[in-house]
Amino acid sequence: MFTRSIRWRFLLWLSFLLAAVLGALGTTAFRLYRAQVLAAIDSELSHIVSTLSSTVRQPPGGPRGGRIPGGPPPSPGRREQPPPGPMPGNLDERRLILTDELENLFYPAKNEGGLYFVVWAASGAVRSQAGPVPTGLTQPGRTGADTAIHLRAHDAFREAWHYTERSEAILVGRSITGDLAALRRYAWLLGGAAAVVLAVALGGGWLLVSGALKPVNEISATAARIAAGDLGGRIDVSETDSELGRLAGVLNDTFARLEGAFARQQQFTADAAHELRTPLAVLISEAQVTLARERTPEDYRHTIEVCLETAQQMRRLAESLLALARFDAGQDALRLTRFDLAERVRAGVELVQPLATEREITIRSELTSVETHADVDRIGQVIVNLLTNAVAYNKEHGEIHVATYAENGAAILAVTDSGPGIAPEDLPHVFERFYRADTSRARSEGRCGLGLAICKAAVEAHGGRITVSSQPGLGATFVVRLPVHGPG
Amino acid sequence: MRILVIEDEPRLVRSLARGLREEGYAVDTAENGEDGLEKAISSDYDAIVLDVMLPQLDGWTVLTRLRREKQTPVLMLTARDTPRDRVRGLDGGADDYLVKPFDFSELLARLRALIRRAAGRALAEIEMGDVRLDTRARSVTRAGQHVALTAREYAILEYLALHRGEVVTRTTLYEHLFDETENTLSNLLDVHVFSLRKKLGSPLIATRRGQGYCIEH
Repeated sequence: MFTRSIRWRFLLWLSFLLAAVLGALGTTAFRLYRAQVLAAIDSELSHIVSTLSSTVRQPPGGPRGGRIPGGPPPSPGRREQPPPGPMPGNLDERRLILTDELENLFYPAKNEGGLYFVVWAASGAVRSQAGPVPTGLTQPGRTGADTAIHLRAHDAFREAWHYTERSEAILVGRSITGDLAALRRYAWLLGGAAAVVLAVALGGGWLLVSGALKPVNEISATAARIAAGDLGGRIDVSETDSELGRLAGVLNDTFARLEGAFARQQQFTADAAHELRTPLAVLISEAQVTLARERTPEDYRHTIEVCLETAQQMRRLAESLLALARFDAGQDALRLTRFDLAERVRAGVELVQPLATEREITIRSELTSVETHADVDRIGQVIVNLLTNAVAYNKEHGEIHVATYAENGAAILAVTDSGPGIAPEDLPHVFERFYRADTSRARSEGRCGLGLAICKAAVEAHGGRITVSSQPGLGATFVVRLPVHGPG
Repeated sequence: MRILVIEDEPRLVRSLARGLREEGYAVDTAENGEDGLEKAISSDYDAIVLDVMLPQLDGWTVLTRLRREKQTPVLMLTARDTPRDRVRGLDGGADDYLVKPFDFSELLARLRALIRRAAGRALAEIEMGDVRLDTRARSVTRAGQHVALTAREYAILEYLALHRGEVVTRTTLYEHLFDETENTLSNLLDVHVFSLRKKLGSPLIATRRGQGYCIEH
């Protein structure tokens, strides 16, 4: 569950990242500090070893300027200080006389630092020692005639030592328990600080993410509500002028299209129902009036004929509606074959010829063979539809011009009539369902305004286009473009 | 009574006209808004049946323009039945609203009601002395006895009865009794009135010389 939420994933990654960074920083800081502390201690010890060493080797005759022979190589930066005091006798047996300074360092009354020293004679016996020397302290080893100051550490002690040129070993050490404790405290401090930083960062991160995600949640909620039914609603984009704003904009556009599509769908359904009502009124009225009294057989026959005609009209309407509904649902699987458009048009013209002859309309064909990859039946319907329209909306003794040809990789069918044409205000609407521009003729011929809508749906299902151009009084031309190589 | 039917579906118009004529009405028809409006204004109809979806001039426009000049009762026929459409129709001046498809008998009843109301009468029965006229059954009784009248006689009596107290001119009677499909001979009217007087008693229908006929209160 947690891993699904952006917020939690973000926080998880943030905490890992921060923990890693803080960990690295803290460790490094601690190490550096520790090294620094130890180095300071070591330096101090070395300095004391030096000082002690010069006291130990104080030659008879008092202080002499310059370097004391046999002492350790001068530690860099330290000034030579010849110690004051009387000269002892036998070096090995003389008691060590320390300067005040050194006394203060080692002797118990003032020994806060835990310093101790041990001096071994050349024989290996302990010559002198002071301070809290750790039990079991061993004399350090020596390589050759080395007189340099060395450092070592064991348990909680740190020691500096060196061999004089007379093979005496001088060792100064100190317990560093206190320092280690201090270091531990420092480590805890660092850890604590890191934890606080982590907490604050995570808390801040949580707030920031929540803030950033709030609009997302709002958009989510609004979109869900709209999708559930309130298609008129829109997401408020006024405050999100960002990536989310764009997302909301896209969603709003989608909702607008959905709303439009639904409205058109509802309108279509309502229109279809209304279209059926009038023929139903005819059936019912005719039947009721006829049945109101005794009629002659001729009357009954007439009534039945009227009912039949009306029922046929309703059947045509129902079929048209179903065809459109199938196109709408995209369910109409087109059975594509390659055929010559000119041939199909020729067949269509033959079919329509009787209607044309009845009204003394001449059909002129200019059919160039052009191949197309389409559904033969559907295109056949389109052809017949356009031709019958051309006959119906034409004047007596008028003309129809039909042409097929190829152009720019498309198969073209053009049908022109010499009728009254289509008014400019009607022109954009002729392909709309149930739209009837010339309503005065419409009803009487049982037309219901779906013919062109079906043509459009069929042509567009093939990836083609149908257009109309007309000037009032000069007839109308319908042009169908079909792809030569099939839809899509 | 003379009725104008304005409806663009030709089969429906024919059917309605036939049915109404068989019920004793004189029926004129129009198949588009313009013709319908013209007829409605130029003649006096007792009722108009008006379809909403008409070519050239839609039903609402016809109604609006008609109402500027005439108060003829109008019954609107339509395939659209949303409350909004009904409100629009009724507020626009229609007296009644019927949705297709409808029962013919309902249409007849509503027309009768419209005509009655226009004549200021709420009930289907009219009493004039011992003569009782039942507009629903289209029958007449005198002192309880049924009187056989021809369709034309009944129509004249009904009209005079509904306009009781008014003097109805001969011209008006012609207008309301014969439709455009009939050729009339003016003395036919006199013959019918004579026959009515014989069947119902002469005092019932009074003649106003030079003016017309009247059934007095």
